[in-house]
Amino acid sequence: MTVSLRGRPRVDRERLLLWMRDYGVYVGVALVVLFNVVFTPNFLSFENFRTQAVQVAPVLIVALGMALVIATGGIDLSVGSVMALSAAMISLYLGYGPLVAVLVAVGVGALAGAANGVLVAFAGVQAIIVTLAMMIGGRGLALVLLPQLDGVRNPDLRELGSGSFLAVPYVVWIAALLVAAVAFLVRRSVFGRRLVAVGGNRRAAELSGLPVRRVLLGVYALSGALAAVAGVLVTARLQAADPNSVGVLIELSAITAVVVGGTPLTGGRVRIAGTVAGAVLMQLLVATLIKHDLPPSWTQMAQTAVIIGAVYLARDRGRT
Amino acid sequence: MIEHHTHHTGAGTLSRPRRVLLATAAVGAALTLAATGCARGEDDVAAGNAAAGDTEGQAQVLDEAASGGQTCNAQDHGIEPFDLTDKKVGFSQSEAESNPFRITETQSIKDEAADRGVELITSNAQSDFSQQISDVQDLMSQGAEVLIIAPLNSDGWKPVLDQARADAIPILTIDRPINGTACEDYVTFIGSDFVEQGRRAADQMIDVLGGEGEVAILLGAPGNNVTTDRTSGFLERIEAEAPGIEIVFQQSGDFTREGGQSVTEQLIQSQPDISGIYAQNDEMGIGAVTALNGAGKAPGDVRIVTVDGTQAAVEYIVDGWIAAVVESNPRFGPLAFEAASAFGSGEDVGTQLIITDREYDADNAEEELPHAY
Repeated sequence: MTVSLRGRPRVDRERLLLWMRDYGVYVGVALVVLFNVVFTPNFLSFENFRTQAVQVAPVLIVALGMALVIATGGIDLSVGSVMALSAAMISLYLGYGPLVAVLVAVGVGALAGAANGVLVAFAGVQAIIVTLAMMIGGRGLALVLLPQLDGVRNPDLRELGSGSFLAVPYVVWIAALLVAAVAFLVRRSVFGRRLVAVGGNRRAAELSGLPVRRVLLGVYALSGALAAVAGVLVTARLQAADPNSVGVLIELSAITAVVVGGTPLTGGRVRIAGTVAGAVLMQLLVATLIKHDLPPSWTQMAQTAVIIGAVYLARDRGRT
Repeated sequence: MIEHHTHHTGAGTLSRPRRVLLATAAVGAALTLAATGCARGEDDVAAGNAAAGDTEGQAQVLDEAASGGQTCNAQDHGIEPFDLTDKKVGFSQSEAESNPFRITETQSIKDEAADRGVELITSNAQSDFSQQISDVQDLMSQGAEVLIIAPLNSDGWKPVLDQARADAIPILTIDRPINGTACEDYVTFIGSDFVEQGRRAADQMIDVLGGEGEVAILLGAPGNNVTTDRTSGFLERIEAEAPGIEIVFQQSGDFTREGGQSVTEQLIQSQPDISGIYAQNDEMGIGAVTALNGAGKAPGDVRIVTVDGTQAAVEYIVDGWIAAVVESNPRFGPLAFEAASAFGSGEDVGTQLIITDREYDADNAEEELPHAY
């Protein structure tokens, strides 16, 4: 009798923590939206949601790739530099038309990702080291290829960045389609099952005959390709290729979105919807603080608080 | 069983590195090939506005009044007079030459050295301050006898100053000062007055808004003295001269076009009545133009004032998107070498040489466009 009375609150607390780990990010989004509805002028307008959606799209696309990499137990710090490479490619190949330029940019992104993948999967170098090297080298290469910002005049590419279909910007359509594709990949495809298995227990995956190295190679290449798509969209939106500043620190935003969304850094589990919500939460936080004209240091502190909260909730994972 | 397994792994690791190396090399080669192979940009004109022929009217001009009366000569500094043409000059650039200001600044130094037939060695610290300290030390060990430094920060130069004094190497700083004693630690500082640039941007803003309206500021990188000075000058002048103008928004766009664009997008959502934007450099101002354009605004709906004077920004004045640009002239070459040469021949040189910056607005933008960098 007494035992069960004392036991119950603890169980409830654990259950609450677990629930918060999985769904806390949605609660966070709801709270920030609620705050803005009450306190921010003109928040409830279609134009505002459009702006937030357009701004979050590149981070979200990068975070999708990051979620897959993190699910395998790895990390990809090179995404921002791959975006810079992609921007440089757009500028260098736009003479052949926008389609060729975009294909080259995404192809180069996939290649850069594959280079990461080869070193992680076959040479067994730690992902953080490999992708750190690519982060430094990739931006260096991008700056050698395109030393300064170059304006984009091609009307099709500009339309991609600023035009809409059914009142929804192309940039947002592309992000939504990629979310659907990656969600399908994770839930329904063999590749998705395998990458989670690799992250859960690499040794077990190897022993059960899974092509672990090929899976890893594919995941890093995919992350590179997604980052390159984000680079294309940022370039189209900015109407300029700016390899010097495009994607700087985006790896941190993407990792934050993934972790806040409930994907553990240790791998073996991936939450795509949570990642989307994580990216949206961070975007809304930044937007809220800018709209209320608070100093940027507040933005950083608010982001820190959210990250610590998410990590705190995720810490219990081992015990479940 | 175990032995066999170990043996197998051993054989695997022997051949694996070679395979990996080959694969990595192949991917790397493909990457480089794709990157450079058969590129074709939008137009085949190489970016090179710095090479624009006519330099008349682009040169920096000294503002005698602002420069102050303190002077320095070789004797006071404890350095033997010298002929600059015999000397090796070292130039340390602070930031990557990836924006028009730095490109033009470095080019100006190189051109002037070539014109005067002076041997020049250069370095670039890529925005890393400790790198710049070791860059300058390297320049000295490579035999630089006169130093021109574009410092990333004003503080933290003691090791360099000590060594330069010991070796009797004169230092000239450009665009930002080094904190120290003039004529002891350095010869002269040549640069713009950033506070004054802020004041003049405020004058332009007051002018185009008729002294009334809500104004937003796109700040530069936080913690940078250029940001602080351009802000304080602007606020001071607005407060003193235009009580009808209210500063309703101050957010950082980090001196980048993308930063200016995304902050402006948020701004026009939450404050649709904004009448003016003061961008602390041209790049953020151009980002603001892209954002306003994307939100369906017409040129002139929101009046933008920026600082720098790049060609792209001055072209936007011609198009009506930007109201005015206060110049920050990066062509330090002629003045820096003139000062160094005068100092070498024993003449008095002002320890603070403040240059006059131009202004571009709707009245002169078209005709002055060739002077922009």
